[in-house]
Amino acid sequence: MKMNTDKAWLLKKAEQEDGCFVSVGGLVDALEQVEQPSGNVIPIRQAFMRFVQLARRDRRLSLEQFAEKVDVDLVELFKIESEEHYKPAIRTVHKIAEYLQIPEKKLLALAGLLQVKDAQFQTAALKFAARSAPVEKLTREEHSDLEEIVKFLCER
Amino acid sequence: MRVPIQIVECATSRPVEAELFDEVTVEHFLETQKEWRPVVLAAAKQLAQSGAPGQILPRHFHWDWSSKEGELQVLAFSFFGITCNAKLQGLMKLDLTGRAGRLPSQKGKPVVYVDYSETAPWNIKALMQALGSGQQYAVVGTRLIEAAVRKSIEEGFKGRVALHSLSGSERFYLEVCGMTEVVRDPTKQNLLWCEFTPEQAEKFLAGGAA
Repeated sequence: MKMNTDKAWLLKKAEQEDGCFVSVGGLVDALEQVEQPSGNVIPIRQAFMRFVQLARRDRRLSLEQFAEKVDVDLVELFKIESEEHYKPAIRTVHKIAEYLQIPEKKLLALAGLLQVKDAQFQTAALKFAARSAPVEKLTREEHSDLEEIVKFLCER
Repeated sequence: MRVPIQIVECATSRPVEAELFDEVTVEHFLETQKEWRPVVLAAAKQLAQSGAPGQILPRHFHWDWSSKEGELQVLAFSFFGITCNAKLQGLMKLDLTGRAGRLPSQKGKPVVYVDYSETAPWNIKALMQALGSGQQYAVVGTRLIEAAVRKSIEEGFKGRVALHSLSGSERFYLEVCGMTEVVRDPTKQNLLWCEFTPEQAEKFLAGGAA
């Protein structure tokens, strides 16, 4: 980082500052700011959803087991895997990256928490998300689960 | 990263050598608690006893750096500190997750958000006057904002920086830095959201603000 070395600028700023307060933060740190998601955040998050699902299934772990191993809240993990609008906490993504040994910055970007300018990254994430549209035949267990929930819904 | 910089020694009104760094550790947090906090509390007590208006009193001294330890390793955040004469003179925390600008011309564009910034109490004139002493160094706050702008440029955010200024600091961000007063934010205790456009940031770096 190249900083200003102009002494005239420095002395002028010192005079303007006049020893005033410059504080930011503190009082309001705990209050979360509500942010509007930018245009590409949702598809990127779908990629994050799919990534977490596949990484968990690849290890043959249930949601509960995965949450325990990663040391994150089960409810949050459930939301990550099921709600595309859900914005995960930075700490949670940090934990997942640590457990899966994935570069943290990349995973934060995939989770929509970090702006990335890399077009290749965005394209790769979108392609990955797009492949999440299910076309493959259901497994026997999935079919059984589906039948069970359909039966339950019909009975009600 | 360690960059030699200059700040101004108030007693002589001359530039002195200092260092800007981003390897902030827990020890720096502890230094603010051990070295800064007692001075701020003593000055606040004096100001209150002398009947100083409420808005002069420092409102940020309960900030608990120790709770920020876990965030040191999170890449979405960036921390900067300034040392001079072997003492910590200022600290800043930036959020690089790409929060959106709120100026109509910058809407939706990513900004570097200053989540926290503070200078050592001996660099604040009102506090030192309350303690019968003089301010030690100037431009620490300016140098921190300069670092925020340069980080924004590095991240591809073109110098866009935003922050919620505490009420006592608004003059600094609006008049000294030349940021735009955008809106009082009801979700942040009506603190003022101030923002640098790329053009304003460039002007600030070139010395044109204020």
